[in-house]
Amino acid sequence: MGDPIISLKDIAVSFDGEQVLKSFNLEIQDGEFVTLLGPSGCGKTTVLRTIGGFVTPDGGEVFFNGKRITSLPPHKREVNTIFQKYALFPHLNVYDNIAFGMRLKGKSEKEVKKTVHEMLAMVNLTGFSHRGVVQLSGGQQQRVAIARALANDPKVLLLDEPLGALDLKLRKDMQVELKKIQQQTGITFLFVTHDQEEALSMSDTVVVMDKGEIQQIGTPTDIYNEPQNAFVADFIGESNILDGMMLEDYWVKFAGRKFRCLDSGFGRNVPVDVVIRPEDIDVTEPDSTLITGEVTGVTFKGVHYEIIVDVNGFKWMIQSTDCREVGDRIGLSLGPDDIHVMAKSEYSGTFGDYSTFSDEMEEDINASEEAEQEEEHEI
Amino acid sequence: MKSNSKALSAPYTVWMVIFIVVPMLLVGYFAFTDKSGQFTLENLLSVGQYSNVFLRSIWLGALATVLSLLLGYPLAYIIARMSEKQQSVMVMLTMLPMWMNFLLRTYAWMSLLEDNGLINSALSALGLPKAHMINTAGAVVLGMVYNYIPYMILPLYSVLTKIDPSVIEAAQDLGANDRKVFLRVVLPMSMPGMISGVTMVFVPAVSTFIISKMLGGGGNLLIGDLIDMQFLGSAYNPNLGSAISLVLMVIILICMGIMNQFDDGENVGGGVLP
Repeated sequence: MGDPIISLKDIAVSFDGEQVLKSFNLEIQDGEFVTLLGPSGCGKTTVLRTIGGFVTPDGGEVFFNGKRITSLPPHKREVNTIFQKYALFPHLNVYDNIAFGMRLKGKSEKEVKKTVHEMLAMVNLTGFSHRGVVQLSGGQQQRVAIARALANDPKVLLLDEPLGALDLKLRKDMQVELKKIQQQTGITFLFVTHDQEEALSMSDTVVVMDKGEIQQIGTPTDIYNEPQNAFVADFIGESNILDGMMLEDYWVKFAGRKFRCLDSGFGRNVPVDVVIRPEDIDVTEPDSTLITGEVTGVTFKGVHYEIIVDVNGFKWMIQSTDCREVGDRIGLSLGPDDIHVMAKSEYSGTFGDYSTFSDEMEEDINASEEAEQEEEHEI
Repeated sequence: MKSNSKALSAPYTVWMVIFIVVPMLLVGYFAFTDKSGQFTLENLLSVGQYSNVFLRSIWLGALATVLSLLLGYPLAYIIARMSEKQQSVMVMLTMLPMWMNFLLRTYAWMSLLEDNGLINSALSALGLPKAHMINTAGAVVLGMVYNYIPYMILPLYSVLTKIDPSVIEAAQDLGANDRKVFLRVVLPMSMPGMISGVTMVFVPAVSTFIISKMLGGGGNLLIGDLIDMQFLGSAYNPNLGSAISLVLMVIILICMGIMNQFDDGENVGGGVLP
């Protein structure tokens, strides 16, 4: 890997006395698709705005291609942003919106025209030049915003939850399209989202954040398969997180039993968190050699059933294509590669038990998170 | 549903017919008839002899409008960028003079501007020469700006607060410095506010008679004074008064038409400022 195109060193940002980022460090390689993933209020948008130049950090430095740009105003930075609500210019039509940046740079109208038409073709909006932007649908406005940013040929494109306002189907299409555009242009994308699925499916590198700190950086598979702490394990996908004890290398004890695992290097008799993904658990008949429990809830999810099992008071989630009835006693079969061991962290014990789990609640949380997101944006 | 809303609007329709349509027709009737009720164009033709008054009214009204715009825009812009709490205080301060009686406000300026008024007394107390201010065109324009500037500030303020801050950030992001952001985004986006502000200042300023009467003396006769004289004054002639009113109305309509043209051009053509 070469020198990073963007590097943040010891960035500190606070709003009204509230510390949002504290000695935040991040390096982004040229040409990468990097996603900042985290719950609302975790500081991911602030990182983006610091790079865009809209937030001046209280401390620390921002480097662009090795040059210090910490106090450079936004209009002098070689990055462009796609805003959450697109922020198109309502008084200009599609053509003039896309031409805005190029005209400021003093490009000739001939050049502007050529680039605008290229951009329109890229985002599948050929023929929309003279439409007013206010009449366009959300998805179309999104495309104009992308075209407007890319027309400036930025080195880095910053995307602040750009798909948040679109419906699910459109969002999926735009994910594919954005990824395609990124690969075609080779521009570095820094994408902010709180949608873990979006992060996993689009990125080369995912940066998981919480409380203004990076919890883990890695490829989507690393983040999913090898979460570093209970927060990451819980935030990315579903996880059963249990209190365990690393007896020695490759042997871990949890749920009252000893298991063989693939993890090592923790030492002897060290307390750890054990993550087991719901889809890795095989449901079998109860057996004295297995963890056994009673089914307390079954939800049909289309591809699989989501089964909640009570094992001595701890509720596990299992995703299985086999249907089980509430009240059934079942065995939970685990192989060594289904078990992932993590060091204890401040998040231990706060996640991973499905005792209070219900779909309805999760929807409520999502809804309130989205509402918060709105508010955050307004500030 | 439809008949319901029709029934609801009936009182308004009746009101509008009695107090707007009928009076307009009456003005038209008087303008085209002589004292004995015969049809004549003489009233309208004789309006021509007052063209200097018309020109003065339009000139002073336009001057007051431009000054209000130049003074009001920065203030509206500053208010729109304040915290919400400060905004409501500032908006109230802007409107506060409007709660005071119009005559009283203008009268107060009279006593300030008089040759032996407050300002001149202060000047001579400081050993400075007195300035003649009352009964000048300047005093009339001052009175207009003072009285009508809130009608400029408020619509401007309301469009400026509605501009999404992220649109401004987008312009900066695309390479616009503060000056370009203002010229290419804020100014064109505040055009509707400017148009309603200009309308709301220009129309009353052009047809005022109190301000010119109190601050302009006899030498700064405006259309409003002329009309006033035809109905209530020495030159009693409602036919001529109606004709002048009619001509004034047409002039204002033309001015508004031009203004609105400007607005439409901005939205449809998506014109770009240099």
